[in-house]
Amino acid sequence: MMANIKKNKEKSFGFKSTLPFLTILFLIIMMVLPYNIPLIDDIMPFLTLIGVYYWSVFKPELVPVSVIFVLGLIQDILLGSPFGLMSLLLVVVQQFIFIQGRQFLERDFLFNWFVFVMIVIGFGALSWGVTSLYFRVFLDFIDVIGQILLTIAFYPLITWMLGLIKKAIG
Amino acid sequence: MKGFGHRFTAFFYIAASIVLLIFGRSQTNLIDQVRAQIFATFIPVITVVDIPRVASSSLSDWIRNIAIVYSDNEFLREENAELKRQLAEATELEIDNLRLKKLLNIKDGTVSTITASRIVSGSNSPFFKSMLINSGSNEGVKKGHAVVNEDGVIGRTIIVAANSSRVLLLNDINSRIPVKFANTGVNVILAGDNSQELKIEFMPPEETASPGDVILTSGMGGFFPPDLPVGTVTEISPLGEIKVKPAVNLNRLNYVSVIEYKIADFPVLNPELQAGDALQPAVQEPE
Repeated sequence: MMANIKKNKEKSFGFKSTLPFLTILFLIIMMVLPYNIPLIDDIMPFLTLIGVYYWSVFKPELVPVSVIFVLGLIQDILLGSPFGLMSLLLVVVQQFIFIQGRQFLERDFLFNWFVFVMIVIGFGALSWGVTSLYFRVFLDFIDVIGQILLTIAFYPLITWMLGLIKKAIG
Repeated sequence: MKGFGHRFTAFFYIAASIVLLIFGRSQTNLIDQVRAQIFATFIPVITVVDIPRVASSSLSDWIRNIAIVYSDNEFLREENAELKRQLAEATELEIDNLRLKKLLNIKDGTVSTITASRIVSGSNSPFFKSMLINSGSNEGVKKGHAVVNEDGVIGRTIIVAANSSRVLLLNDINSRIPVKFANTGVNVILAGDNSQELKIEFMPPEETASPGDVILTSGMGGFFPPDLPVGTVTEISPLGEIKVKPAVNLNRLNYVSVIEYKIADFPVLNPELQAGDALQPAVQEPE
């Protein structure tokens, strides 16, 4: 009887442990839907970055670097970006979060948002730099600024939703 | 020790990403095949996630259509009368055109519609302008097929899977299309730069352009059939950069057509002459 309960608990945690992966995958799909809105088509916020940041701070054991690498590759495939670009950027961001220290980041919402602002600016600059280098042209960065601002604006909503899932994971 | 192991793993994945980026530049075919296989598996998932957006979009379209049905009906009656008149003129011109082509023995290429497709996803990025459509090699789509709608050219297929394809849009930074000015016939290249406008490259210095000039496909290169509308010149900068607004609104696409252009044989002015004879005078001296 006890063994069965234990087994069921492990099973349920097994599914729950995939929720961070699934939520980031869902955010990737949300990023590539054809919205047919002129502004959004050019400055779609980095929703995946919000997911990676959130889970790397609150449940880092459920988003190991291998998972982030795979999610980055999936995003490259669905977005049509150079293969390896998003995996590189997301893994670098996650490592930056880990180097800063989880305890340092596990503070109140406003503090986390402020840290995220710094991270998204770095992420935007890095994505612009690496893509320019890849295509060997000086790409326009005006839209990236729009993407950064929109990502910052979307942060409270997305993290609120991810917070509900975090509660379910326990 | 655990920290060292973790950092080593992270370094491995960063290095793997960089290797993939470098490898992807040189081995595009292999990478494209892998991408095609993987994005094909995601098409059903994206389609399911997209159901609420499609439903709300259809509902708002339906309400808008109901609201404007009476004014549309009046406009379409007038347009129909005008189109009937133009059709009569066009038929006459087409007969003339065919007769003249027959006289010169000019062979046209053939254009066939491969399939009509729905757009499944876009890249929604300032750096990459492409989209996924729900037709692939099963429907006869091949790499390099032109993608159009009723307004003009949208792009061309760059990666083809069994049931889906990726289309490189006109305004992507890697897009180059051979086009011509409709009024002068000057052949140029139309390049994307990731913005909403396109730019003309390789404009002969002795030629001029002005805002309002219509740009059509030239048919050179063999991907796009000639004379498809591509855009209109909107602006010429003091440095001579010519900006073109696409004929198609690339932000409002739902359905597209994939077309195949089979280029004709080189025109033969006198089919009775053999290759070797062509070097001889075509007209014989009377004996």
